Amino acid sequence: MAKTALYLILLALPLLAHAQTPEAELRCKASGEDFVFDCTITLRRGGQPLAGAEVSMSADMPSMPMAHSVRPAKAQPGTKPGEYKARLDLEMLGEWAVKLRLDGPVRDLLVLHYEFDSKGAKPSMGGHKMEHKKH
Amino acid sequence: MDDYAIGVLTNIALFSFVALSAYLLLIAGEMSFGQQAFFGVGAYAGGILTALYGWPLPLAAFAAMALGAIAQLLVALPTLRLRGLYFAMATLAAAEMARILFELLHWRREIDGELAGPDGTQGFRGIRWIFEHGIEPLHYLGIVGALLALVLALFLMVERSKLGATLRGIGQDPELAAAVGIDVQRVKLGVAGAAGALAALGGVLYAHHNTYIEPRNFDIMLGVHSLAYALIGGLGTAFGPLLGVLLDIGVLESTRFFQGYRMIVFGGLVAVVLIYRPRGFLDERTVQWLRQRFT
Amino acid sequence: MLVDFIQNTLDGLSAGAAYALLALGFTLIFGVLRRANLSYGPAIMFGCYAATWTHVNFGAGLLLLALITVSGAVLAGAYVERLCFAPHRGGSAIAAMVASFALWMQFEELATLVMPRHLYAFPMLVEGDSLALGPFTLRVDALVMLGAALAACALMGWTLYRTRFGLAVRALIEQPAAAALAGINVPWVFVRVFALASAIGGVAGYLVVATHGQITPMLGMWATMKGLLAMMLGGLGSLPGAVIGGLALGLLEAHSQWYLGPQLRDLIAYLLLFVLLAARVPWMTTRSAS
Repeated sequence: MAKTALYLILLALPLLAHAQTPEAELRCKASGEDFVFDCTITLRRGGQPLAGAEVSMSADMPSMPMAHSVRPAKAQPGTKPGEYKARLDLEMLGEWAVKLRLDGPVRDLLVLHYEFDSKGAKPSMGGHKMEHKKH
Repeated sequence: MDDYAIGVLTNIALFSFVALSAYLLLIAGEMSFGQQAFFGVGAYAGGILTALYGWPLPLAAFAAMALGAIAQLLVALPTLRLRGLYFAMATLAAAEMARILFELLHWRREIDGELAGPDGTQGFRGIRWIFEHGIEPLHYLGIVGALLALVLALFLMVERSKLGATLRGIGQDPELAAAVGIDVQRVKLGVAGAAGALAALGGVLYAHHNTYIEPRNFDIMLGVHSLAYALIGGLGTAFGPLLGVLLDIGVLESTRFFQGYRMIVFGGLVAVVLIYRPRGFLDERTVQWLRQRFT
Repeated sequence: MLVDFIQNTLDGLSAGAAYALLALGFTLIFGVLRRANLSYGPAIMFGCYAATWTHVNFGAGLLLLALITVSGAVLAGAYVERLCFAPHRGGSAIAAMVASFALWMQFEELATLVMPRHLYAFPMLVEGDSLALGPFTLRVDALVMLGAALAACALMGWTLYRTRFGLAVRALIEQPAAAALAGINVPWVFVRVFALASAIGGVAGYLVVATHGQITPMLGMWATMKGLLAMMLGGLGSLPGAVIGGLALGLLEAHSQWYLGPQLRDLIAYLLLFVLLAARVPWMTTRSAS
């Protein structure tokens, strides 16, 4: 009986997890130092701001992951609930896959694509290629 | 151990799988620019099975390895009789085709009201099996490390066996091997299957470590890097590719001094080392010498 | 429909002209050294970035930029030759090719360090409108590309068939052992072949960047892939084959892209290469590739 209950609970866990996948948004500003950005992370879960999480932020380039070393930076809680602040020290500009590792009440790993330029970061989509000019 | 160190070690282990895959083909005499495709096959297959169909990771890993082996055989069969650069170009063409197919792959399923699954160039998010089953990063490193150790043990066993000698014989001189009665084609196919499975295993583990994969992860950079790791580490032993990965990711990553110049340093190192050691640090002669010193 | 077909053919030929030049450079190196140089595209990119840097910091005329591109490519090519090919002559081909890939990584990182933005504008070769020829649009820069490619081929042909150097190159391609025995200074020929191949590549790179009006760090990989593809399609090690392969690739791409889109365009090119290799079509697999 207990085993069945345990089994059912274990089966239900994935469903719970999916229903409450956190979402994140990033706003970054160039800090003045080369390729260092001050970022504000906004976390939500099920429509509500997600406060009290331990957030650590790092980044990879989509092509050849682990080719660049971006040390994970622990984020500090920001002014509003669900907001966190951290510094991102990148090696170069361009498109990065920013990874947010969440610990605490929620454990997860979120990956967001942003294009970093000399001013800040914009969400990005898709890949870059040398294209033919169409006539 | 802090999160960064765990992450670096896990990546070292993951890339060792694909480096070993390239190494296996190299000692059998074939240079493949395409192992990244099978890494990708494992990643996508494993991710789809756990995230979209609720398969447990171990089962998905086996399935991924089988698919990786089949995929590599699909490439190896038509190209059996190709040598040298021709074979390399064929593997490159096949790998780029695979990457484009990943870009075209849309396999979406609704899971709890949300669409999940590979979405072409947008990638495949939400491969959360590790998180859903409460596996800590350190535990995952343990699992990946244990699997790598198992693979290395298998390699070491094969190296000391007749099969190992056969493989190296085929690599050095296929005509001679055929002359003494070895079925070169069959052995090469076996090697291809094993290499594909190995790369795919790395792929499925990578997908679950990262929770997100996209076609660009599996481009030619990964493939040529794994070849470089195998060659600079040394072709004398399975520890060679591992050394190559360690050199690149481990040492140069962790030394802040090299930040931003890592590829320049590593690239220069590879080119210079190859001048004096064309078969890597742990090449056959060095391994032989080491064995004699320590046995 | 027919108009589209012919328009695509024209576009394909002009892209193919650049591919032909790239393939020529690859083939020169392969034909003589029997190795593929994976740093070929990156060395060209080095030249183009040198020109971009000059343009961004000092502003420069088109001719000067072209000269800088070509010299940069030749310089980078010499570096690759010394470090990757000279030491492994007569030795391991795999080591040479992997070393050339290692230098590719160096060039890419160097480009992103010195010029960190992903995209830079490059002065266009020809500003202004295209020529209209009946229902067809001929971009003037496409014509320039074709003209330059033809000129480069003519120059190559003259070099190969009317100079002693060219004779030595052809001898090394056809009969390497006999050529060495006949007293040709093989290492010196290798160096000059590399320089010539890099120069052609520099011209191709300049034309591509000047007609697109922009440069990105992807140029290195792009040039290498297209050059390799075109070289293999035309028959490894054959100089006329390189030109034909390049043009054929351009045509194939233009038509595939029109009817099937950019992803399938690339897929078809690679599929064709794979099928031709697997079928071991004789013109493709005649030359030994160590």
